[in-house]
Amino acid sequence: MASKLLLQTLTRRQPTTIIRRFSTAAAVATPPDYEDPSGITMKGVKISGRPLYLDMQATSPVDPRVLDSMLPYYLSRYGNPHSRTHLYGWESENAVETARAQVAALIGASPKEIIFTSGATESNNISVKGVMHFYKDKKRHVITTQTEHKCVLDSCRHLQQEGFEVTYLPVESDGLIDLDRLRKEIRPDTGLVSVMAVNNEIGVVQPMEEIGIGALYMRRRPRIRVEPQMNGGGQERGIRSGTVPTPLVVGMGAACELAMKEMEYDERRIKSLQDRLLNGIREKIDGVVVNGSMERRYVGNLNLSFAYVEGESLLMGLKEVAVSSGSACTSASLEPSYVLRALGVDEDMAHTSIRFGIGRFTTEEEVDKAVELTVKQVVKLRDMSPLYEMVKEGIDIKQIQWAQH
Amino acid sequence: MAASGLAAPTRTEVLQLYRSLLRVARQFCDYNIREYTKRRTIDAFRDNKNLTDPSQLSAAFSDGKAQLEVAKRQAVVYSLYAPKVKSIMDIKPS
Ligand SMILES: Cc1ncc(COP(=O)(O)O)c(C=O)c1O
Repeated sequence: MASKLLLQTLTRRQPTTIIRRFSTAAAVATPPDYEDPSGITMKGVKISGRPLYLDMQATSPVDPRVLDSMLPYYLSRYGNPHSRTHLYGWESENAVETARAQVAALIGASPKEIIFTSGATESNNISVKGVMHFYKDKKRHVITTQTEHKCVLDSCRHLQQEGFEVTYLPVESDGLIDLDRLRKEIRPDTGLVSVMAVNNEIGVVQPMEEIGIGALYMRRRPRIRVEPQMNGGGQERGIRSGTVPTPLVVGMGAACELAMKEMEYDERRIKSLQDRLLNGIREKIDGVVVNGSMERRYVGNLNLSFAYVEGESLLMGLKEVAVSSGSACTSASLEPSYVLRALGVDEDMAHTSIRFGIGRFTTEEEVDKAVELTVKQVVKLRDMSPLYEMVKEGIDIKQIQWAQH
Repeated sequence: MAASGLAAPTRTEVLQLYRSLLRVARQFCDYNIREYTKRRTIDAFRDNKNLTDPSQLSAAFSDGKAQLEVAKRQAVVYSLYAPKVKSIMDIKPS
C-alpha cells in the first residue's frame, strides 16, 4: 500500500502535490479544533469565513515588512542586548540602538530620550506614578481627563490613596477638553497634566500609530526625572529594568520607519475609507450619530451609535465584521462605556455604539461589505421595533410615561 | 548617495520589476496583505512614472527590488501559517 502511494506520487510529479503535502503536515502540527474547511464555530456562532477586521484600535496586523525585520532576531540573532562579552550581545545591542533611533526620528526626539517598555500601560504607570513619586515633596496635584485609558485613571487612583490630589477634567460633548478650564485647574503644586493624544474609543484629536510594544519619550531638557516602577538590572538607564526584547524592539523601530515613509499615503487612503464608511451608512439609514468630534478626529476611527435598535442584537447580527462595542458586554452587567458617558451620550445610544477601526490593510470592498451588513442588521431590527414605528408616526418617545411593573 | 554609482534601469527592467511585484502579491494567501501589496505596487509605480533624473530612478528601482525580496520571503512565511478557513472577503457567494 505504502509503495503504491509512493509510486503514484513519484509518477505524478506535480509541484502541487508537494505543496499539499506540506500544508497537511502543518495542519497536523497545530490542529485548531474550532476550524474546519466549511467554517468556524466558536462561542455558539458559526461563520463561513474569517470575519473582515475593523478593530484596529484594539490591535492591528503586523506589516509583513516589519515581520521581515524581526524574524532574524528570533532565529539566529538571539543574543541578549546587554551581553557585553560576545558577538551575539553586540549585534543585538546594535539592533536595539538602531530601533531607538528609528523611533526617535518619527517623533522628532533624540534617541537618548526613548525608553523601551512593554507598552502603554507600563509607560503611563512610569509617567504618572514615577513623576509624582519623584517630585512628591513639592508637587501634590495631578490633572487628567475623564476619558483617559484605565491605565492612567487607575494610576491616578493609586496616587489618591497615597494622599495626592487628582482633578479629572470633564470633556465637552465632542470629546475634547476645554483648554481654559484646564488652565484654571493648574496650581503651583500641580506636578503632572496627563492628556491622551488620540482617544482609543472615539478617536478624537491627533493621529498616532498603535503598536503592540511600547516606548516612552522622556524629555531631557528641561530634564524630567521619575522613580522607576521596575527595579532590577538597571536597563534603559535604570528607568525600566528588565531585558529589552530585541525582536520586538527591532519590529517597533521598523514600524516607525515605515510609518514615516507611508504616513501621507496611508492617511489619504484611510481618510477616503472613513468617508466611504460614514457616507455609505448615512445614505441608507437615518438616526446615525457620530460619537466624538468629526473635525478633530483620527482618520482610522469612526464611532457610531444607531438609534432605535438594541445594542446586543446589533452586534450579534454583525458576526462577519470584527468590530468593538461601546458597552462592555460582560454577562453580569450591561455597563455602557465610561468614555461615552463622559461625553454625555444617552445610555441607550451608548449601548448601540460601534467602533469601526480602519487601517493600512483595509480595502474598499471591506468597507462596502461592512456598510451592507450594518445597514441590513439595523433595518431588520428597526422593522421589528415598535419604538421605531412610533418615531416614524411622529411620537416623541422621550415624552412617553412607561408603566412600571 | 549610493544610488549615484548605479546606472539607471532600462524600461524593460522597470516593467519586469513591476510584473514581479504583482506576481508575488498574488501569492499572498492573506486577503488584506495580497490586496495591499497589489495596490501599493500600482500606486508607487504610478507616482514614480514621471521620474527622469537617473539617480532618482535608480534609487526607486533598487528600493523596489528590495521590496520584492521582502515580499517573496513573506509570501512563503504567510503560506506556512495560513488558516484553513479563508477571509469572508475571499469567499465568493455561490
Ligand atoms: C489609549 C490606550 N492606552 C493604553 C492602552 C494599554 O496598552 P497596553 O495594553 O499596550 O499596555 C491602550 C490599549 O489598547 C490604549 O488604547
